[in-house]
Amino acid sequence: MILLDPAHGGVDSGSRITDSLSEKEVTLNLAFKLRSLLAARGFNVVTTRDSDSATEPNSPNPLTLDDRAGIANHAHPVACLLLHATASGSGVHLYSSELDPTPGEPAANPWLTAQAPWVVQSQRLQKQLGTALTRANIPLVMSRASVRPVDSLTCPAVVVELAPNGSDASSLNDASYQQRVAEALAAALVFWKNQAQPPDRLLDTPTMPPMPPSPPTGARP
Amino acid sequence: MISRHQRILFWVLVGCILAMASLLFWERERARDRVSALADATPIDAPYTNTESITLDLANDSDGSITAATRQIALPDEATARARALLEHLIAEYALPGSPHPLQSGAAVDDVFLLPLPVNGRALDASGNTATTGGTPTIPVADPNAIKPQSPGGELAVINLRSNFVNAHPSGVEVETLTLQSIIGTLHANLPQIEQIRFLVDGQPRETLAGHADLLRTYPSRDTTVQATVPDATP
Repeated sequence: MILLDPAHGGVDSGSRITDSLSEKEVTLNLAFKLRSLLAARGFNVVTTRDSDSATEPNSPNPLTLDDRAGIANHAHPVACLLLHATASGSGVHLYSSELDPTPGEPAANPWLTAQAPWVVQSQRLQKQLGTALTRANIPLVMSRASVRPVDSLTCPAVVVELAPNGSDASSLNDASYQQRVAEALAAALVFWKNQAQPPDRLLDTPTMPPMPPSPPTGARP
Repeated sequence: MISRHQRILFWVLVGCILAMASLLFWERERARDRVSALADATPIDAPYTNTESITLDLANDSDGSITAATRQIALPDEATARARALLEHLIAEYALPGSPHPLQSGAAVDDVFLLPLPVNGRALDASGNTATTGGTPTIPVADPNAIKPQSPGGELAVINLRSNFVNAHPSGVEVETLTLQSIIGTLHANLPQIEQIRFLVDGQPRETLAGHADLLRTYPSRDTTVQATVPDATP
Protein backbone atom coordinates (compact mmCIF):
# COMPACT_ATOMS: atom_id res chain seq x y z
CA MET A 1 0.00 0.00 0.00
CA ILE A 2 1.15 3.54 -0.81
CA LEU A 3 -0.17 6.67 0.87
CA LEU A 4 -0.36 9.90 -1.13
CA ASP A 5 -1.01 13.17 0.67
CA PRO A 6 -1.82 15.98 -1.77
CA ALA A 7 -1.04 18.91 0.52
CA HIS A 8 -3.49 21.72 1.27
CA GLY A 9 -7.04 21.73 -0.13
CA GLY A 10 -10.29 23.54 0.49
CA VAL A 11 -9.77 26.98 1.98
CA ASP A 12 -6.06 26.24 2.34
CA SER A 13 -4.77 26.97 -1.17
CA GLY A 14 -1.11 26.56 -0.30
CA SER A 15 1.33 28.73 -2.18
CA ARG A 16 0.22 30.90 -5.08
CA ILE A 17 2.00 29.52 -8.16
CA THR A 18 0.56 31.99 -10.68
CA ASP A 19 -2.41 34.32 -10.61
CA SER A 20 -4.68 31.51 -11.70
CA LEU A 21 -2.90 28.49 -10.26
CA SER A 22 -2.55 27.45 -6.61
CA GLU A 23 -0.52 24.73 -4.98
CA LYS A 24 -3.54 22.66 -3.96
CA GLU A 25 -4.53 22.17 -7.62
CA VAL A 26 -1.06 21.05 -8.66
CA THR A 27 -0.70 18.59 -5.79
CA LEU A 28 -4.11 17.06 -6.50
CA ASN A 29 -3.40 16.69 -10.23
CA LEU A 30 -0.04 15.07 -9.49
CA ALA A 31 -1.69 12.73 -6.97
CA PHE A 32 -4.27 11.63 -9.56
CA LYS A 33 -1.56 10.82 -12.08
CA LEU A 34 0.55 9.00 -9.53
CA ARG A 35 -2.42 7.04 -8.20
CA SER A 36 -3.30 5.80 -11.67
CA LEU A 37 0.24 4.71 -12.39
CA LEU A 38 0.61 2.96 -9.04
CA ALA A 39 -2.75 1.22 -9.35
CA ALA A 40 -1.69 -0.05 -12.76
CA ARG A 41 1.40 -1.50 -11.13
CA GLY A 42 -0.62 -3.42 -8.56
CA PHE A 43 -0.43 -1.04 -5.61
CA ASN A 44 -3.28 -0.28 -3.29
CA VAL A 45 -3.25 3.51 -3.01
CA VAL A 46 -4.73 5.59 -0.20
CA THR A 47 -5.03 9.36 -0.58
CA THR A 48 -5.80 11.85 2.16
CA ARG A 49 -8.05 13.78 -0.23
CA ASP A 50 -9.38 13.12 -3.72
CA SER A 51 -11.17 16.39 -4.37
CA ASP A 52 -10.51 20.08 -3.86
CA SER A 53 -11.85 20.07 -0.33
CA ALA A 54 -9.88 18.50 2.47
CA THR A 55 -12.41 17.36 5.07
CA GLU A 56 -12.81 14.53 7.47
CA PRO A 57 -14.80 11.51 6.24
CA ASN A 58 -18.56 12.11 6.65
CA SER A 59 -17.94 15.49 8.22
CA PRO A 60 -17.56 19.08 7.05
CA ASN A 61 -14.67 19.61 9.47
CA PRO A 62 -11.45 20.51 7.69
CA LEU A 63 -8.71 17.92 7.68
CA THR A 64 -5.93 18.91 10.05
CA LEU A 65 -2.30 17.96 9.59
CA ASP A 66 -2.65 15.55 12.50
CA ASP A 67 -5.65 13.97 10.75
CA ARG A 68 -3.54 13.39 7.67
CA ALA A 69 -0.86 11.70 9.76
CA GLY A 70 -3.55 9.59 11.46
CA ILE A 71 -4.88 8.37 8.10
CA ALA A 72 -1.37 7.43 7.04
CA ASN A 73 -0.49 5.66 10.28
CA HIS A 74 -3.66 3.57 10.30
CA ALA A 75 -3.07 2.43 6.71
CA HIS A 76 0.41 0.97 7.44
CA PRO A 77 1.73 1.86 3.97
CA VAL A 78 5.15 0.85 2.66
CA ALA A 79 5.70 4.47 1.62
CA CYS A 80 4.12 7.84 2.33
CA LEU A 81 4.57 10.62 -0.21
CA LEU A 82 3.58 14.14 0.87
CA LEU A 83 3.01 16.08 -2.32
CA HIS A 84 3.74 19.82 -2.47
CA ALA A 85 4.41 22.34 -5.22
CA THR A 86 6.31 25.60 -5.43
CA ALA A 87 7.12 28.28 -7.96
CA SER A 88 10.71 28.61 -6.75
CA GLY A 89 13.61 26.52 -8.00
CA SER A 90 13.17 23.87 -10.66
CA GLY A 91 12.63 20.13 -11.00
CA VAL A 92 11.70 18.14 -7.93
CA HIS A 93 12.73 18.71 -4.31
CA LEU A 94 12.80 15.67 -2.04
CA TYR A 95 12.87 16.04 1.73
CA SER A 96 13.02 13.54 4.55
CA SER A 97 12.47 14.30 8.22
CA GLU A 98 15.04 16.35 10.12
CA LEU A 99 14.63 14.11 13.16
CA ASP A 100 17.65 12.13 14.22
CA PRO A 101 17.21 8.38 13.85
CA THR A 102 16.34 7.01 17.30
CA PRO A 103 15.76 3.26 17.29
CA GLY A 104 15.92 3.24 21.09
CA GLU A 105 13.48 4.38 23.72
CA PRO A 106 10.38 6.43 22.94
CA ALA A 107 10.81 10.19 23.07
CA ALA A 108 9.13 12.58 25.48
CA ASN A 109 6.53 13.52 22.88
CA PRO A 110 5.96 10.42 20.75
CA TRP A 111 3.48 12.07 18.40
CA LEU A 112 5.89 14.78 17.26
CA THR A 113 8.79 12.35 16.93
CA ALA A 114 7.00 9.23 15.65
CA GLN A 115 9.01 9.36 12.44
CA ALA A 116 12.34 8.99 14.26
CA PRO A 117 12.56 5.17 14.03
CA TRP A 118 11.67 5.40 10.33
CA VAL A 119 14.16 8.09 9.37
CA VAL A 120 16.73 5.65 8.00
CA GLN A 121 14.08 3.97 5.84
CA SER A 122 12.80 7.36 4.73
CA GLN A 123 16.28 8.39 3.65
CA ARG A 124 16.64 5.18 1.65
CA LEU A 125 13.31 5.80 -0.04
CA GLN A 126 14.35 9.40 -0.70
CA LYS A 127 17.53 8.20 -2.36
CA GLN A 128 15.68 5.73 -4.56
CA LEU A 129 13.17 8.34 -5.64
CA GLY A 130 16.05 10.71 -6.33
CA THR A 131 17.85 8.13 -8.44
CA ALA A 132 14.74 7.52 -10.54
CA LEU A 133 14.19 11.24 -11.07
CA THR A 134 17.82 11.75 -12.06
CA ARG A 135 17.51 8.95 -14.60
CA ALA A 136 14.49 10.74 -16.00
CA ASN A 137 16.65 13.88 -16.40
CA ILE A 138 14.58 15.85 -13.91
CA PRO A 139 16.57 18.41 -11.89
CA LEU A 140 16.71 17.32 -8.28
CA VAL A 141 17.28 18.81 -4.83
CA MET A 142 17.50 16.44 -1.88
CA SER A 143 17.68 17.58 1.71
CA ARG A 144 16.01 17.30 5.10
CA ALA A 145 13.27 19.54 6.41
CA SER A 146 10.74 19.92 9.19
CA VAL A 147 7.44 19.96 7.37
CA ARG A 148 4.41 18.93 9.36
CA PRO A 149 3.09 16.26 9.59
CA VAL A 150 6.07 14.25 8.34
CA ASP A 151 7.54 13.92 11.85
CA SER A 152 4.36 12.18 13.05
CA LEU A 153 4.28 9.50 10.35
CA THR A 154 5.04 5.86 11.16
CA CYS A 155 6.07 4.89 7.64
CA PRO A 156 8.94 5.62 5.27
CA ALA A 157 7.97 9.18 4.39
CA VAL A 158 9.28 11.67 1.84
CA VAL A 159 8.08 15.17 1.02
CA VAL A 160 7.94 15.53 -2.77
CA GLU A 161 7.86 19.17 -3.85
CA LEU A 162 7.23 19.73 -7.54
CA ALA A 163 8.99 22.83 -8.87
CA PRO A 164 8.72 24.31 -12.38
CA ASN A 165 10.22 22.66 -15.43
CA GLY A 166 12.76 25.37 -16.13
CA SER A 167 11.90 28.89 -15.11
CA ASP A 168 8.26 28.99 -16.21
CA ALA A 169 6.04 28.61 -13.16
CA SER A 170 3.00 27.72 -15.28
CA SER A 171 4.80 24.53 -16.36
CA LEU A 172 3.83 23.10 -12.97
CA ASN A 173 0.38 22.43 -14.40
CA ASP A 174 1.73 20.93 -17.61
CA ALA A 175 0.23 17.43 -17.84
CA SER A 176 3.21 15.93 -19.68
CA TYR A 177 5.66 17.30 -17.11
CA GLN A 178 3.60 15.96 -14.23
CA GLN A 179 3.28 12.62 -16.03
CA ARG A 180 7.06 12.39 -16.44
CA VAL A 181 7.61 13.04 -12.75
CA ALA A 182 4.84 10.64 -11.73
CA GLU A 183 6.28 7.85 -13.90
CA ALA A 184 9.71 8.27 -12.34
CA LEU A 185 8.24 8.18 -8.84
CA ALA A 186 6.08 5.14 -9.65
CA ALA A 187 9.06 3.28 -11.09
CA ALA A 188 11.05 3.94 -7.90
CA LEU A 189 8.18 2.76 -5.71
CA VAL A 190 7.95 -0.53 -7.61
CA PHE A 191 11.60 -1.09 -6.81
CA TRP A 192 11.05 0.05 -3.22
CA LYS A 193 8.11 -2.33 -2.59
CA ASN A 194 10.36 -5.31 -2.08
CA GLN A 195 12.77 -3.50 0.20
CA ALA A 196 10.53 -1.74 2.72
CA GLN A 197 10.99 -3.13 6.19
CA PRO A 198 9.76 -1.72 9.49
CA PRO A 199 12.43 -0.53 11.93
CA ASP A 200 13.96 -3.28 14.08
CA ARG A 201 12.29 -2.31 17.32
CA LEU A 202 8.85 -2.35 15.67
CA LEU A 203 9.15 -5.77 14.05
CA ASP A 204 7.69 -7.65 17.03
CA THR A 205 5.32 -5.14 18.56
CA PRO A 206 3.86 -2.70 16.12
CA THR A 207 2.91 0.41 18.05
CA MET A 208 1.28 3.65 17.14
CA PRO A 209 1.83 6.85 19.03
CA PRO A 210 -1.26 8.41 20.54
CA MET A 211 -2.60 11.36 18.63
CA PRO A 212 -2.85 14.60 20.57
CA PRO A 213 -6.31 15.52 21.81
CA SER A 214 -8.31 17.16 19.07
CA PRO A 215 -10.19 20.39 19.59
CA PRO A 216 -13.97 20.00 19.92
CA THR A 217 -14.67 21.41 16.48
CA GLY A 218 -11.63 19.83 14.92
CA ALA A 219 -10.98 16.45 14.06
CA ARG A 220 -11.80 12.98 14.69
CA PRO A 221 -10.32 11.03 17.56
CA MET B 1 4.24 110.72 55.12
CA ILE B 2 5.42 107.10 55.11
CA SER B 3 6.45 105.89 58.45
CA ARG B 4 9.94 104.50 59.03
CA HIS B 5 8.83 100.96 59.78
CA GLN B 6 6.83 100.87 56.55
CA ARG B 7 9.90 101.88 54.55
CA ILE B 8 11.94 99.17 56.28
CA LEU B 9 9.25 96.60 55.48
CA PHE B 10 9.17 97.75 51.85
CA TRP B 11 12.91 97.32 51.37
CA VAL B 12 12.91 93.98 53.16
CA LEU B 13 10.20 92.78 50.75
CA VAL B 14 12.17 94.09 47.77
CA GLY B 15 15.22 92.22 49.07
CA CYS B 16 13.21 89.02 49.42
CA ILE B 17 11.89 89.36 45.88
CA LEU B 18 15.38 89.80 44.50
CA ALA B 19 16.65 86.86 46.54
CA MET B 20 13.81 84.65 45.31
CA ALA B 21 14.42 85.71 41.72
CA SER B 22 18.12 84.94 42.07
CA LEU B 23 17.35 81.54 43.60
CA LEU B 24 14.90 80.67 40.83
CA PHE B 25 17.37 81.73 38.15
CA TRP B 26 20.12 79.66 39.78
CA GLU B 27 17.89 76.59 40.09
CA ARG B 28 16.82 76.96 36.47
CA GLU B 29 20.43 77.04 35.35
CA ARG B 30 21.21 73.95 37.41
CA ALA B 31 18.28 72.04 35.94
CA ARG B 32 19.27 73.01 32.42
CA ASP B 33 22.83 71.86 33.04
CA ARG B 34 21.55 68.57 34.42
CA VAL B 35 19.34 67.93 31.39
CA SER B 36 22.14 68.93 29.05
CA ALA B 37 24.49 66.54 30.78
CA LEU B 38 21.98 63.70 30.40
CA ALA B 39 21.43 64.55 26.77
CA ASP B 40 25.15 64.53 26.12
CA ALA B 41 25.46 61.03 27.60
CA THR B 42 22.65 59.58 25.47
CA PRO B 43 24.17 57.30 22.84
CA ILE B 44 23.26 58.33 19.33
CA ASP B 45 24.75 55.26 17.63
CA ALA B 46 24.79 51.69 18.82
CA PRO B 47 28.00 50.87 20.65
CA TYR B 48 29.55 49.10 17.69
CA THR B 49 33.11 48.04 17.67
CA ASN B 50 35.23 48.20 14.57
CA THR B 51 34.23 46.11 11.61
CA GLU B 52 34.89 42.42 11.97
CA SER B 53 34.75 39.35 9.81
CA ILE B 54 31.52 37.39 10.20
CA THR B 55 30.07 34.41 8.39
CA LEU B 56 26.66 34.44 6.73
CA ASP B 57 25.13 31.13 5.64
CA LEU B 58 23.47 32.16 2.39
CA ALA B 59 20.73 30.15 0.69
CA ASN B 60 20.34 29.48 -3.00
CA ASP B 61 16.92 28.49 -4.31
CA SER B 62 18.18 27.14 -7.61
CA ASP B 63 20.10 24.22 -6.13
CA GLY B 64 18.77 24.18 -2.56
CA SER B 65 22.19 24.81 -1.11
CA ILE B 66 23.52 26.86 1.80
CA THR B 67 27.00 28.29 1.40
CA ALA B 68 29.09 30.22 3.88
CA ALA B 69 30.10 33.74 2.85
CA THR B 70 32.35 36.15 4.76
CA ARG B 71 31.43 39.78 5.27
CA GLN B 72 33.14 42.68 7.04
CA ILE B 73 30.55 44.45 9.15
CA ALA B 74 30.37 46.29 12.47
CA LEU B 75 28.41 44.52 15.18
CA PRO B 76 27.51 45.49 18.74
CA ASP B 77 29.26 43.69 21.57
CA GLU B 78 26.17 42.72 23.50
CA ALA B 79 25.09 39.19 22.51
CA THR B 80 21.37 39.71 21.85
CA ALA B 81 21.96 42.93 19.91
CA ARG B 82 24.70 41.11 18.03
CA ALA B 83 22.39 38.23 17.10
CA ARG B 84 19.70 40.62 15.94
CA ALA B 85 22.14 42.69 13.88
CA LEU B 86 23.51 39.52 12.29
CA LEU B 87 20.06 38.39 11.21
CA GLU B 88 19.15 41.83 9.88
CA HIS B 89 22.33 41.80 7.76
CA LEU B 90 21.43 38.30 6.56
CA ILE B 91 17.90 39.22 5.52
CA ALA B 92 19.18 42.43 3.92
CA GLU B 93 21.41 40.28 1.67
CA TYR B 94 18.34 38.46 0.42
CA ALA B 95 16.59 41.73 -0.40
CA LEU B 96 19.34 42.78 -2.80
CA PRO B 97 18.55 42.68 -6.53
CA GLY B 98 19.57 39.39 -8.09
CA SER B 99 19.55 37.52 -4.81
CA PRO B 100 19.51 33.72 -5.28
CA HIS B 101 16.99 33.53 -2.42
CA PRO B 102 14.86 36.66 -2.88
CA LEU B 103 12.99 37.93 0.17
CA GLN B 104 11.14 41.16 0.78
CA SER B 105 13.21 43.99 2.19
CA GLY B 106 12.46 45.52 5.56
CA ALA B 107 12.89 44.71 9.20
CA ALA B 108 12.47 40.97 9.76
CA VAL B 109 13.54 40.44 13.34
CA ASP B 110 11.78 42.19 16.17
CA ASP B 111 13.86 40.76 19.00
CA VAL B 112 16.27 38.01 19.87
CA PHE B 113 16.26 36.60 23.39
CA LEU B 114 19.07 34.43 24.70
CA LEU B 115 18.11 32.18 27.60
CA PRO B 116 20.55 29.99 29.51
CA LEU B 117 19.79 26.27 29.25
CA PRO B 118 18.04 24.41 30.76
CA VAL B 119 15.04 26.73 30.61
CA ASN B 120 12.93 26.14 33.70
CA GLY B 121 9.47 27.52 34.30
CA ARG B 122 8.09 29.22 37.41
CA ALA B 123 5.02 28.35 39.49
CA LEU B 124 2.97 30.27 42.02
CA ASP B 125 4.51 30.09 45.47
CA ALA B 126 1.98 28.24 47.63
CA SER B 127 3.72 29.35 50.81
CA GLY B 128 2.49 32.87 50.15
CA ASN B 129 5.88 34.52 50.48
CA THR B 130 5.58 37.97 49.01
CA ALA B 131 8.08 38.79 46.37
CA THR B 132 10.38 41.68 47.08
CA THR B 133 9.17 43.37 43.92
CA GLY B 134 5.62 43.31 45.17
CA GLY B 135 4.46 41.06 42.30
CA THR B 136 2.91 37.61 42.44
CA PRO B 137 5.22 35.33 44.44
CA THR B 138 6.66 32.55 42.28
CA ILE B 139 9.23 29.84 42.68
CA PRO B 140 11.38 28.17 39.99
CA VAL B 141 10.19 24.73 38.88
CA ALA B 142 12.64 22.22 37.49
CA ASP B 143 11.26 20.65 34.30
CA PRO B 144 12.57 17.10 33.84
CA ASN B 145 11.93 17.39 30.08
CA ALA B 146 13.75 20.71 29.75
CA ILE B 147 16.44 20.75 27.08
CA LYS B 148 19.81 20.23 28.70
CA PRO B 149 22.81 22.25 27.56
CA GLN B 150 25.44 20.25 25.69
CA SER B 151 28.16 22.38 27.22
CA PRO B 152 28.25 24.82 30.15
CA GLY B 153 26.88 28.18 29.14
CA GLY B 154 24.72 26.77 26.35
CA GLU B 155 21.83 29.04 25.43
CA LEU B 156 18.42 28.90 23.78
CA ALA B 157 17.86 31.66 21.22
CA VAL B 158 14.25 32.78 20.82
CA ILE B 159 13.89 34.73 17.58
CA ASN B 160 10.84 36.94 17.45
CA LEU B 161 10.10 37.55 13.76
CA ARG B 162 7.91 40.39 12.53
CA SER B 163 4.60 39.38 11.00
CA ASN B 164 5.24 41.72 8.07
CA PHE B 165 8.25 39.62 7.13
CA VAL B 166 6.54 36.27 7.69
CA ASN B 167 3.35 37.23 5.83
CA ALA B 168 5.38 38.34 2.80
CA HIS B 169 7.66 35.29 2.80
CA PRO B 170 7.45 33.12 -0.34
CA SER B 171 5.59 29.88 0.23
CA GLY B 172 7.15 26.48 -0.42
CA VAL B 173 8.98 23.69 1.36
CA GLU B 174 12.36 24.53 -0.13
CA VAL B 175 12.25 28.29 0.13
CA GLU B 176 10.96 28.27 3.72
CA THR B 177 13.37 25.57 4.85
CA LEU B 178 16.30 27.45 3.33
CA THR B 179 15.37 30.63 5.21
CA LEU B 180 15.29 28.77 8.53
CA GLN B 181 18.51 26.89 7.77
CA SER B 182 20.19 30.12 6.76
CA ILE B 183 19.23 31.78 10.05
CA ILE B 184 20.23 28.72 12.09
CA GLY B 185 23.57 28.32 10.31
CA THR B 186 24.44 32.02 10.61
CA LEU B 187 23.78 32.01 14.36
CA HIS B 188 25.75 28.77 14.75
CA ALA B 189 28.75 30.20 12.90
CA ASN B 190 28.92 33.46 14.84
CA LEU B 191 27.43 32.74 18.26
CA PRO B 192 28.62 29.27 19.25
CA GLN B 193 27.04 29.49 22.70
CA ILE B 194 23.60 29.15 21.05
CA GLU B 195 22.61 25.47 21.10
CA GLN B 196 18.87 25.57 20.44
CA ILE B 197 16.70 27.96 18.45
CA ARG B 198 12.97 28.68 18.61
CA PHE B 199 10.87 31.04 16.55
CA LEU B 200 7.99 33.34 17.43
CA VAL B 201 6.03 35.71 15.22
CA ASP B 202 5.02 38.98 16.87
CA GLY B 203 5.59 37.30 20.21
CA GLN B 204 3.26 34.39 19.47
CA PRO B 205 3.92 30.80 18.37
CA ARG B 206 2.98 30.16 14.74
CA GLU B 207 2.56 26.77 13.12
CA THR B 208 4.54 27.39 9.93
CA LEU B 209 6.63 30.08 8.29
CA ALA B 210 4.50 30.38 5.14
CA GLY B 211 2.45 27.19 5.15
CA HIS B 212 5.21 24.58 5.18
CA ALA B 213 8.31 24.85 7.39
CA ASP B 214 7.55 24.03 11.01
CA LEU B 215 7.93 27.01 13.37
CA LEU B 216 6.70 25.21 16.48
CA ARG B 217 9.65 22.89 17.01
CA THR B 218 12.95 23.70 18.66
CA TYR B 219 15.79 23.56 16.15
CA PRO B 220 19.29 22.52 17.16
CA SER B 221 21.92 25.09 16.23
CA ARG B 222 24.13 23.45 13.62
CA ASP B 223 26.20 23.94 10.53
CA THR B 224 23.72 24.05 7.66
CA THR B 225 26.19 24.55 4.82
CA VAL B 226 25.17 21.50 2.86
CA GLN B 227 25.24 20.95 -0.80
CA ALA B 228 22.09 19.47 -2.23
CA THR B 229 22.62 15.76 -2.74
CA VAL B 230 22.25 14.30 -6.17
CA PRO B 231 22.17 10.51 -6.10
CA ASP B 232 24.18 8.44 -8.48
CA ALA B 233 21.96 7.44 -11.37
CA THR B 234 23.93 4.32 -12.13
CA PRO B 235 22.43 1.13 -10.80
